[in-house]
Amino acid sequence: MLYTIFYGFSIGAILYFVSIGLSLTFGTMRVVNFAHTLTYSIGVYVLITFIPWLQGNFIPAAMIAILAVVPISYLIERFIIRRLYGESLDYTFIATFAVTLIGVDTIKMIWGVNPLPFSPPMSTYIDFWGMTFPLYRIIIFGIAIALFLGLELFFRKTIVGKIVVAALDDKDGVRSLGINVDKYFSIMFMLGSALAALGGVLYAPISAVQPYMGLSILLLAFAVVIVGGMGNLRGTFISAFALGMVMALTARYWSQGAETMVFIVMAIVLCFRPIDV
Amino acid sequence: MNQIESRSVEPPPVLDFPVKKEKRAVEIFIIGIGFLILMPLISIHRVTDFMIFCIFALSFDLLYGYMGRLSFGHLLYLGTGAYVFGLFIKYFQTNALLAILLGVLAAGLLGMLLGPIMVRATGACFSLMALAFNQIGFFLVLSPLKHITNGEDGFGAHAQSIGFVNFSSKTTMFILTLLLLLLVFYVLKQLTTSPYGVLVRSIKEDENRVRFLGYNTYFYKWVTFVIASAVAGLAGTLTALNYNFVNPNVMDVHQNVGVVFACLIGGAGNLYGAVIGGVAYMMISNYLAIYIHRWEMFLGLSMLMIVFKFRKGIWGNIRDIGDYFRRPKEIRPAAQKGI
Repeated sequence: MLYTIFYGFSIGAILYFVSIGLSLTFGTMRVVNFAHTLTYSIGVYVLITFIPWLQGNFIPAAMIAILAVVPISYLIERFIIRRLYGESLDYTFIATFAVTLIGVDTIKMIWGVNPLPFSPPMSTYIDFWGMTFPLYRIIIFGIAIALFLGLELFFRKTIVGKIVVAALDDKDGVRSLGINVDKYFSIMFMLGSALAALGGVLYAPISAVQPYMGLSILLLAFAVVIVGGMGNLRGTFISAFALGMVMALTARYWSQGAETMVFIVMAIVLCFRPIDV
Repeated sequence: MNQIESRSVEPPPVLDFPVKKEKRAVEIFIIGIGFLILMPLISIHRVTDFMIFCIFALSFDLLYGYMGRLSFGHLLYLGTGAYVFGLFIKYFQTNALLAILLGVLAAGLLGMLLGPIMVRATGACFSLMALAFNQIGFFLVLSPLKHITNGEDGFGAHAQSIGFVNFSSKTTMFILTLLLLLLVFYVLKQLTTSPYGVLVRSIKEDENRVRFLGYNTYFYKWVTFVIASAVAGLAGTLTALNYNFVNPNVMDVHQNVGVVFACLIGGAGNLYGAVIGGVAYMMISNYLAIYIHRWEMFLGLSMLMIVFKFRKGIWGNIRDIGDYFRRPKEIRPAAQKGI
């Protein structure tokens, strides 16, 4: 049972990485970014490409992967999403979906269609109270907590964070103070995409690597964002871990139904609290 | 409630309430003739396929074009229709007509059940929930129901002939599908030009105002959702009947983009647009895929083009040209861009 709770925490951490970017872009820009799948997968594929070059050094390769996503996400934001501000949400949704299609096809062109093998960078286990936990999952969980605290600090203490929080509340008000809101949104978008890549990089070793890998995790992340409240950063944190726990507990008794259970929880939440988006 | 709607620049569409019966007949006739002309050009089996997809596109258009709800999981209802059809034929009876009826009812029933949850959401939330439900459905037929649906491999469903109607003959399938397509078109046309249709379109424009007028918008959205699901279920049963085979691909989440593309390229919010877009999409996917290997990329690029430059779709542009020449010369405005 303790193992299950532990696995729930590590899944929750991954969900948090991916969904925080979605929540940010939604809260600030009112844009549902389907291209998040793309940044997630690109991060993983860049990681896989660079690991042999760096003689199996995981951390520098992961850094490169996360940084490689930033210019791509900038291009998506600058040329696709910024042109669709203030229009119907459906168009941004379709446009980012189209971007995903193009990107997935590019991935297929460069790296091939078949799933790639990839193993965790460390197979160390830690003994604790007579039980063994894989160190890798503990590290993931630690990074998630650190990220949450870091983001809290970022949004409270730095000027960029304060502007973004203010813009989440009232975009026009911030703009009328003479602040170029679009610039900060662009930064948020890149930050969100980089976090998605981080989630991909950390999750890839314990899941399969294939061109469509982003889609299922994106659906889960959307469920997290809907349950936690769109644009609500702490809500996203709590719902990510709660849904991760739901997944782990379901998987313990019925391994195939884990993802489905998340959507059922989402549907129940939506029954009691409809979202007008 | 921070929904940002694109404000329409064009004047509101002229509502043609008292539609003449002759006009309807001519419309139906033109579509029928169109597919009959298409038949010798392409093989008959493919045209049947095209028409089934057109039925599906019509149901999607009712939801997206008329009610403004972009569903990224509409294949769930098509798949439900196909599976109920196939399972009924496999396990109970080989009567195809009864199976079609049951498939449509099942898809409608699923729409009734999911509708109350779905229609609460708007915009992207609606799309995501549709996607999530579609994923659940795909998963259900793939693994928990594996012992009856045969999982990934699918199963055959051979309908027996009723009287002189032999369902394995391609010509019969063609005629049946054509008749059903025309029926669906007629019914949807009647619905969308009725006061109910106007109400649904008003919900797309501004739901709050419709609510202020005293209408129970949830009910109307729910009814529209159920109709759209039932029609999608019809398309599903026909797919199964046409191929004599059902497998989970009929509700593969990734395939949803096809009908969105079809609806956009034909022109959303118009039944002709849905039919034209359906044919156009099937043409592209059937023929272009042979020549262009990277076909998803092409789809993505053209979707971007549509979103940025070609929002009215094929039918919208045809209508614009028609309007341009019908007007007196002095008041011809320059072509308006976008919606």
